[in-house]
Amino acid sequence: MADFEPRIVGFLCNWCTYAGADLAGTSRMQYPPNMRPIRVMCSGSVDSVYLLRALLEGADGVFIGGCHPGDCHYVSGNYKARRRMVAFKSILRSVGLDEDRVWLRWISAAEGRKFADTITAMTDELKRKGPSPFREQWDV
Amino acid sequence: MAMLKVKAKNPSRTLRELFAGWLSEGRLSAMLVPVMAKSGAATLALVSDPAKMAEAAPLLPAMAVNAASVVHDIARQKGEAGRVGLLLRPCEMRAVVELIKLRQVDADGVVLVGIDCPGTYKAAGFREVRTKGEEFDNEHAGGQRDYYDSPNLRTACQVCDSSAPSAFDVAVGFLGLDPDKELWLEAGTDKGRVLLEGFDLTGEAPAARAKYLEALKERRLKKAAGTIEKLDKVMRGPEKLVGYFADCLNCHNCMRVCPVCYCHECFFNSSTFQRGLDEHVRTAKRKGLTRMPSETLLFHLTRMNHMMASCVACGICEDSCPAGVGLLPLFKKVSRNVQAEFGYVSGRSLEEPLPLVAFREDEFQAVGESE
Repeated sequence: MADFEPRIVGFLCNWCTYAGADLAGTSRMQYPPNMRPIRVMCSGSVDSVYLLRALLEGADGVFIGGCHPGDCHYVSGNYKARRRMVAFKSILRSVGLDEDRVWLRWISAAEGRKFADTITAMTDELKRKGPSPFREQWDV
Repeated sequence: MAMLKVKAKNPSRTLRELFAGWLSEGRLSAMLVPVMAKSGAATLALVSDPAKMAEAAPLLPAMAVNAASVVHDIARQKGEAGRVGLLLRPCEMRAVVELIKLRQVDADGVVLVGIDCPGTYKAAGFREVRTKGEEFDNEHAGGQRDYYDSPNLRTACQVCDSSAPSAFDVAVGFLGLDPDKELWLEAGTDKGRVLLEGFDLTGEAPAARAKYLEALKERRLKKAAGTIEKLDKVMRGPEKLVGYFADCLNCHNCMRVCPVCYCHECFFNSSTFQRGLDEHVRTAKRKGLTRMPSETLLFHLTRMNHMMASCVACGICEDSCPAGVGLLPLFKKVSRNVQAEFGYVSGRSLEEPLPLVAFREDEFQAVGESE
């Protein structure tokens, strides 16, 4: 499993986390290239169907990055994203799936370091966990 | 609160007369009620002529559709305030309450008349009892207490712990009483008091009913816990989950009949995930093969995410499944867990905000932070 490289699908809010990722890049911070970023306008705009589709298609992890609570560009999108994540994880637990493959984190445009550290930590944890069972489970 | 004297040991007829009175006195312009048609169809009708209220079967022990789905279809746009009565079983009322909060039903136009329900028959079981003649629904209310625990009840009803109306304008009760002699009436709102004008509403709620409901709830909760425990034991990992839906045909009937699956165009009918042949091949290459038709589990899990906070566990999804997927136990379990996260109970009240619409700044603060 030493050569296992996790695939992470990331949904990054345009106003905070995506800018944070940009800052990490322009500051030449090193972090694992395992996440495929998708820019979205708000963490609150990411419907669960997209998280589920990534997971069922065999992504090893799904990441959502949003503005810190109180800082949402649209005032309350991240609070709604937070509630939706509570429901999402409750459903994963209830149906016997691994909720720890899904990460929601608040990362501001100024937090390039936090972004790099978070992606590093998530990649490390997924390496420990190993590949998602949905890489093999095709009859979904 | 008032007791309604039952005439000629016939609670069904007594209720028909009460409802017909509301129409003839102009308190309502029409009322949606369960009916037992001559053809044998146990269905619903919107009754406007008091004389035709004779067709109604207020205690009908069958539920082919959740009435809330019909209410969603007919009462979305504003109507004349408080003019259409809806006779609803508790799970139907809970679904209507959710639809009102989802802004899918105009609350002002309708009057919610709830009625006790000890459970409804599976379709096959119902075909047997309906041959007993027109008074079968009286029997259902009164004489057959054993039936409340019967395996002939729909799966959802066997584990239902909410047998009394929740957020009603008017409630009609018979559980724990002797429905050959009397029924119990309560007004929950001013709209309800208009309908019950003429009754002395100062009486105490009958203790026998409360006691009976409590005991029924306890029995049913125990049974539900057993069902969910069985599920917990097997539901571990993707293979078991995929196995649960193994027989699914991807027909989406469960979505179409669901009273709280309210979208006029389902996401899964949209073009969002429509792909060309090349993209299907790319998807297949990811795992070497891909199931066709695709996205069965995605549909069920997404539906759960979209409607679990409002699921009333009526089980009509399971009834409608042509492949016989036993959806109710899983949906009951998941909806209960999701609603518990937010201290919410679907359909309990019109005031409690929907969990995925409301939020507080100072809640779930660990979510979104690194451990």
